Amino acid sequence: MRKPDPGIRVAITGAGILCSIGRNKDEVWNAIVESRAGIRKLTRFPGETFPTDLAAEVDEPALPVPRRDAKRLSRSDRLAIIAAGEAIVQSNGFPLDRAIVSTGTSTGGLLEGEDFYFTRLLRGRRRAPASRVLQQPTSGPSDAVARAFKLGGGVVSNATACASAGAAIGIAADYLRARHADAAIAGGTDALCRLTYSGFNVLQAVDSNPCSPFAADRKGITLGEGAAYLVLERWDDAVARGAKILAELCGYGATCDAHHPTAPHEEGRGAEAAMRGALCDGRTPAESIDYINAHGTGTLLNDSSETRAIMAAVGTEVPVSSSKSYFGHTLGASGAVEAVITVLALTHQIAPPTLRLESAAADCPLDYIPHTPRPMRMQNALSNTFGFGGSNVSLLFRRA
Amino acid sequence: MTRLPITGIGVIAPGAIGVDAFSKVLDSGKTAASTIDRFDTTPLRAHTAALVRDFAPKEFIAPMKLRRMNNLSRFGVAAARLAMTDRGSPLSSAAGVAMGTAFGPVQTSVDYLQEYVEKGAALAPPQLFAESVANAPGSHAGIEFGLRGFNITVTQRESSALAALMYACSQIAKGMVPAAVVGGIDEVNEIVFGVLDRVGSLAHANGMIDECARPFDRRHNGMLVGEGGAAVIAEASAGLGAYAFVSGFGIARDATATISDWGEGPDAVVAAMRAAIEDAELSVHNIDAIYASANATARADRLEWRAIQSLFSDVPPVVATKGYFGEYAAGGALQLIAAILALKDQALHASAGFGEKDPEMRFTPTREPLKRELRNVLVNSISAGGGIVCAVLSREAA
Repeated sequence: MRKPDPGIRVAITGAGILCSIGRNKDEVWNAIVESRAGIRKLTRFPGETFPTDLAAEVDEPALPVPRRDAKRLSRSDRLAIIAAGEAIVQSNGFPLDRAIVSTGTSTGGLLEGEDFYFTRLLRGRRRAPASRVLQQPTSGPSDAVARAFKLGGGVVSNATACASAGAAIGIAADYLRARHADAAIAGGTDALCRLTYSGFNVLQAVDSNPCSPFAADRKGITLGEGAAYLVLERWDDAVARGAKILAELCGYGATCDAHHPTAPHEEGRGAEAAMRGALCDGRTPAESIDYINAHGTGTLLNDSSETRAIMAAVGTEVPVSSSKSYFGHTLGASGAVEAVITVLALTHQIAPPTLRLESAAADCPLDYIPHTPRPMRMQNALSNTFGFGGSNVSLLFRRA
Repeated sequence: MTRLPITGIGVIAPGAIGVDAFSKVLDSGKTAASTIDRFDTTPLRAHTAALVRDFAPKEFIAPMKLRRMNNLSRFGVAAARLAMTDRGSPLSSAAGVAMGTAFGPVQTSVDYLQEYVEKGAALAPPQLFAESVANAPGSHAGIEFGLRGFNITVTQRESSALAALMYACSQIAKGMVPAAVVGGIDEVNEIVFGVLDRVGSLAHANGMIDECARPFDRRHNGMLVGEGGAAVIAEASAGLGAYAFVSGFGIARDATATISDWGEGPDAVVAAMRAAIEDAELSVHNIDAIYASANATARADRLEWRAIQSLFSDVPPVVATKGYFGEYAAGGALQLIAAILALKDQALHASAGFGEKDPEMRFTPTREPLKRELRNVLVNSISAGGGIVCAVLSREAA
């Protein structure tokens, strides 16, 4: 079998994003540079009572598919199609029939599945609409994107909790390097659902105020939703067809803490190894990293362990920020949403800040770029994404 | 040429715990299906499934850990332990884990929502939430065996386990990990079974025939659903000996498929098979047998046999295994393991459930076990939604 060839460079020729601060790249980036967060009162589940009541919800735009098809799609599918569509339009011209779709999602169509389950539990199984549960599989978003844009190269779906989308991008890059496909639409999607909103609350992992990653008074995450995709091509192919290259995806590291089902390793063992893996894959020394877009959830354990991991893998001088302070934790989509933010940061040469960081915690001693964006020279940037079960993914991007 | 050895197999299957017992089920030529007794099927058309009945998880997992695991995690950890034992020595902590699952923790989500309804959103059990994520089984396996390489859960419907193997092999070949535990898990539950029955996907009695999955049979009217967990160990080198070698992969997608069916055009299946054979640096003439995706649904079976006939002018023996243990069993890993065992034993299995071929089919699936020299076997997996993954397995390292 062909190995992923490390000599093959992977170009990013399109990017699409949808989250609580914007419905496309321009809206999102404007919110970033204006330090404008998208965290408000939860509205999606009226009548439900949760211990906390904030969320980073998406204002869903119209869908670019026929209404008949749209009826069969879950909200996660629809968010995916919108974000992938933006990326595909920007890339414009890659080979559709040899393009794979690689999607990470934590819950897929669980929002629709819940409708089925609640109806079944409360009104009996004969009243429960089977069509809703058919929208639940986590393979749905990849299939929906492939169908919407007539992509014939294959589909790969993974549900690796909050590391899903980072893994999806890494998988796609290696399949390009191994020539299993000629282009890839890689990213992630997740829609808020009641099970997730309730579950993180019962774990007492949700901050009742907007999350404040790395802060002394941080108390947990803010739940969000969204989708983002990158179009990936082999560099030489992209150059040959005259595509505009936004950035390079240089490396991918994936590890497991092998420590605890829901909590990260205190010393950040797996996170450190993931960053080292990405640097090794990208043949890039740690001292060349100019910026890290952190996983930075705002939980006590994540932020301290990730900080330790960064200090061990990259050093103490590198600027770090958490974009979750803008749009919350988009769960399975976060690896892709934050990858797009990282690509935009490299493109604009502006590092996004960490909002609401009034006072950094004693166990978080790095430069977290508080409050306002920082224009700075950046050549290489890491984007971290970690998930339940100790799965860690780090992606290494380079300015084009 | 890179070929990666399979050095261990673990199986928790309908009618079989362990690889030897699984071989016996395959050698018997008889289905592992039985009447469902874990939930009421009276209002449904289908009443049988391939269920795991003899699994004692405490034989594989410590009691304190067992309490924190749902059925899928128990299947996954037990299968991984059996695979490690079969390998003969522990894996390096640098090894990875790639699990596949078609439906994931549907039952756990239902159990959580039941508590949510009864006790309120703030009082549902956190342990159920932790197990409601699809990657919980893979994570437990990583924790249980101290495996710190990648830990990914692939969810590509019927193709999940084969897609997980494709990813794992790419990382081993690249040198990111020295080895990986690769497998699949799925369970039969009332929700999924009921929905598949309602949409007409399941084999059922109709007055003319009894309820039985009949892959590639002209009388086929639906699939058998299965469950279980299975794992193989793929490695960079075969210091301990190997069952078989993974030689190549191909993927494609049928553009005619909707999100809930298999599509109509055979071209994408042909493309995936051809890509896998080319990735293995072989030609179609080198393929000695095909372990087919055939799940006994009319559309998927027809799609596949048309594709096989299109690519192979001289069709090699074709084996349909899902009559034994059903679709979705161990996330699709049991079909893969059956093909691996065929290479090891140099013997093809009978296609359980097959009786009368469609008149348009140019080939006849195996009716009986068949001793035969096998060097390369093609494994097909076609999933609803249009995704296709094919792999080539080989007897020799080069």
